[in-house]
Amino acid sequence: MNLSDRIDSVLMQVQKPVRYMGGEFGSVMKDPADISVRYAFLFPDVYEVGMSHLGMKILYHAMNLREDTWCERVFTPWVDMEQQMREHQLPLFSLESRTPISEFDLLGITLQYEMSYTNILTSLDLAGIPLRQKDRTDGPFVICGGPCAYNAEPIADFVDLIVLGDGEQITLDLLDVYKDWRSSGAAREEFLKMAVKLQGVYAPSLYDVTYHTDGTIESVLPKRNSGAPERVYKALVNDLNGADFPDQLIVPYGEVVHNRIMLEIFRGCTRGCRFCQAGMIYRPVRERSVERLMGLAETLVHNTGYDEISLMSLSSGDYSCLPELAGDMITKFIDKRVKVSLPSMRIDSVIKDTLAQTQKVRKTALTLAPEAGSQRLRDVINKGVTEEDLIRSVHDAFEQGWSSVKLYFMIGLPTETDEDVMGIVDLASKVQRQYFSIPKSQRAPGLRITVSASVFVPKPFTPFQWSPQLDRETIVHRQGMLKHELSRIKGVDFKYHAPDLSFTEAVFATGDRRLGDVLELAWSLGCRFEGWSEQFRYDLWMQAFRELDVDPCFYACRTRDTDETLPWDHLDAGIDKEFLLREWDRAQQALITPDCRKGCANCGMKRYEGACL
Amino acid sequence: MRILFEFEKHARLRFISHLDLQRFMQMALRRTNLPVAYSQGFNPHPQMNFASALAMGWTSDCEILDVKMAEDITEDFAHQQMAAALPPDLPLRRVRCVDDSHPKTMAILMMADYEITLAGDGAEQVVNAIPGFLAETEVLAMRKTKSGEKQTDIRPMSVMLKSIQTDVGFRIDARLMLKETATLKPDLLLKVFAERAGLADLPAAVNIHRTKLLGLDQSCQPKDLFIL
Repeated sequence: MNLSDRIDSVLMQVQKPVRYMGGEFGSVMKDPADISVRYAFLFPDVYEVGMSHLGMKILYHAMNLREDTWCERVFTPWVDMEQQMREHQLPLFSLESRTPISEFDLLGITLQYEMSYTNILTSLDLAGIPLRQKDRTDGPFVICGGPCAYNAEPIADFVDLIVLGDGEQITLDLLDVYKDWRSSGAAREEFLKMAVKLQGVYAPSLYDVTYHTDGTIESVLPKRNSGAPERVYKALVNDLNGADFPDQLIVPYGEVVHNRIMLEIFRGCTRGCRFCQAGMIYRPVRERSVERLMGLAETLVHNTGYDEISLMSLSSGDYSCLPELAGDMITKFIDKRVKVSLPSMRIDSVIKDTLAQTQKVRKTALTLAPEAGSQRLRDVINKGVTEEDLIRSVHDAFEQGWSSVKLYFMIGLPTETDEDVMGIVDLASKVQRQYFSIPKSQRAPGLRITVSASVFVPKPFTPFQWSPQLDRETIVHRQGMLKHELSRIKGVDFKYHAPDLSFTEAVFATGDRRLGDVLELAWSLGCRFEGWSEQFRYDLWMQAFRELDVDPCFYACRTRDTDETLPWDHLDAGIDKEFLLREWDRAQQALITPDCRKGCANCGMKRYEGACL
Repeated sequence: MRILFEFEKHARLRFISHLDLQRFMQMALRRTNLPVAYSQGFNPHPQMNFASALAMGWTSDCEILDVKMAEDITEDFAHQQMAAALPPDLPLRRVRCVDDSHPKTMAILMMADYEITLAGDGAEQVVNAIPGFLAETEVLAMRKTKSGEKQTDIRPMSVMLKSIQTDVGFRIDARLMLKETATLKPDLLLKVFAERAGLADLPAAVNIHRTKLLGLDQSCQPKDLFIL
């Protein structure tokens, strides 16, 4: 039996065979005989999650535009499929051509969340690729990108290259370097040395890390004669209008998490929320023009048949021409029965008109993220939003016929007290009162307020990178407090999670290379799909830390000294460490820093030519 | 007018459920410039029906999608538009324009032809059970219906059966009733064969492939549903 038949013979035995099926409308098929570079793009989670990811769609499209390259998709097999593959000795394969991943030239992996790292090991192992970079003598080069690339030190030993920043151009440049390397006939390591000449490419194996006796980092320096830069700058695509954006998408057959057209209206964010890594690493703000977006929307609606468009960005309410864009979209597509939704609405944007228009088409829950319960704490995190903004927004929404509101908060933010947390209860009850202040005949029935409180995880390249995570006991205490108090408000649902997963996430988010062993051991003990709470095995993670004598608290529970060399200090996300330090200091004083559209905060992005015009 | 689209479903896509295929076809129609008629109401959807649902895991040469148009178009235009909207594993075969008064294909569907391939342990025993089955005048089996499980005589619903040996195993060509009041699904038939052969399970490698959907012509002879 050939590989494809062998795959077919196990698909009957797994939960969701569609995950491994391929053959969707819009998936790209090419003749391998015409192809020079075979690129496998791994999203280290299941199909339904990975197929909802915009970055993968962008790079898939950009690479497949090239005649010399074929980019195919691969996802981490769910535990049942992994078991079948091991039992029947099936290698990890690409969806499009069902080619074993080990036969590809390059394996790109997107790092969207730390808790997907075990899935990377599962995928490499199933592919028959040695886990450790140093043990590989042939087979694909493993290249990682995505937000966690800014601190991928915990997986440094498992990867060949890490790409920082916007992927559209650098990914194509790397294909060229790969072809040059291959035709040169040079040794495997030479490819890494050639690749790091590109801005945005980091090869962890070309650096030596030394440590102080207290366990902190002494230095991270390029190896002698490696040619690797002391500092790795991120890749930046300045002109988003000119950058490739897919005009065709893969249309999945079954249900995926986000099954719609996702239009990225701009990249970056000017808000400067101090906890938010995305708001820092995706700087500066770069918008797509209304004209370009309308053109893309029209083409995509026609080419895919989707009846829903999401306008994506970190803060869609900040798009400079939002009323124009929303108005044009709704007018254009109302006859075609296409719904337009704005997912990450900010509460202080001028949204009233847009609200009135979106409801013509669709009315889902209004999602607001005050993040913290008290004004003091919102000032600490620089969430430049006041209670009045919030109340006005929900009042308007209720008046326009909304009855469902989701409020997102974090517990464990720096300087947080019990009083700050009780502010969440106060806000929820004020939101409820807004609803009841509207006469019954004028409001939609069925009030539903969902309060979600996640646990704060300090992230690299944010002003809170020096902060510890709040200790477990206090988190549990504050969650319990909220649960008790919120249960007394009619119409409020409270959602929260056990702190175990957030703790592990904090360790890996701010971790260094010494965590590679822990990761591998936890994986070999059976850790899989941590992002799925029913799969998460805290006990096995703690066992791995214990057995290797690594203290997870060293990473998650410690206030870092501002002079300390951080594991990611040799990487440059555009923003200055000086800026982060100033912001960390202002946070302690609960001083806000205005949105940089209202005045430059000197974050450092201006060092990049053409950025921040 | 209505358009009948006949398409295949290839092995790669056999795990798509009927519900997902319905959604997929709704989207496929939106990718065309066809003047599809939509239902009224809060959540309008294309007015379309399948002649028959194909079970998950089966493949087919002859699925029929019946779509109402808001205005008249030519078969060529419909063919060209729809062919471009379908992926390689759901290729379009034939297109036919029919009048609104043309009976719904699902209403005149009577039977279907299947090619059932079997290989591995038990395949031969299953096939050897066919002559005994054919010799019976009545074979009772539990059939799943809308109202639950029902003891039914499936013998008359098996219109034609023949088996041949192939390079890799066996093939059964079966013509089975397929109408709302009397449907015999090939998987049930195989189960009955396996029981009669004294097997606990079906052979590991079973593929069910639908080759024809049939109605009855004026002289009550089976006829290709698509042109009926």
